[in-house]
Amino acid sequence: MTGSTETKTGTGLERRMWDLLLVVTAAPHSSDVITSALRLSQAVLDKGGSVRFWACGYATMLTQTTHGETKLVNTRDPGGSYPSTAAIAARMIEAGAGRFGWIGCTACSEERGATQHLPQVRRRSPARLAATMAAAKRTLYLGGA
Amino acid sequence: MTQRVLSVIDRAYRGAVEAQFFDAMYGLLDLHAQFDQVDLALRGPAVTMAVDDDTYRPSLELGGLRIDTLPDYRRSVRDLVADGIGVLVDESALRELGFPAERLVPGVTGLDPAALARRWPDYDQVWFL
Repeated sequence: MTGSTETKTGTGLERRMWDLLLVVTAAPHSSDVITSALRLSQAVLDKGGSVRFWACGYATMLTQTTHGETKLVNTRDPGGSYPSTAAIAARMIEAGAGRFGWIGCTACSEERGATQHLPQVRRRSPARLAATMAAAKRTLYLGGA
Repeated sequence: MTQRVLSVIDRAYRGAVEAQFFDAMYGLLDLHAQFDQVDLALRGPAVTMAVDDDTYRPSLELGGLRIDTLPDYRRSVRDLVADGIGVLVDESALRELGFPAERLVPGVTGLDPAALARRWPDYDQVWFL
């Protein structure tokens, strides 16, 4: 994997190519698919590749700043620390150093009132889905919304 | 008025990184003291959550962050049993998935589906979690 490559567009502008785009419409807390998507992302990053995580549907909830750094208190383990999904996403974006990008679908975010994304999350209209796919060598669509 | 509750889980594995401890069994552990009796029936793929395993440690690393607080369903079942919650497992589903009843977490009761259904009138409420 190359991490990032660039191609010429019709306008002559350089367009970055990502190794993998994950379009995730599966909802958190419905199955283990969010965990699988994050593990897959990490595996590609560990091999030196680049990944974009396009969060659609209820997956837009994952990066809300309202989660804070940690989850709510576990009443059976009050002293425990449980990182929030927003904190995990922020760590992955930071550690990825430009090779891991997170996109929040603006329509799905608005529809669910999930508009308080981390500042690192790029808001993008679904009207740009095809263009985003065109900027990736491979796209995996993880459905289930 | 007594409040005896049978809760039923049919669908297993509803999130790991996002849920960590906050799953359906945690709900029972956290709330059961409010009721006179709470029992749990595991059916379908959810029966595997009561199959004992002492070696698997759920853990992964994302962005350099070690996350070892992922759901541990066997431990949750052990905690339910320790808290006095009756855990019932559909033995036919267990067999279909290739596990003998001897593999169940100690204290868990395996029942055939008809026997499980006949228990419903023993409760005031049946919840499908």
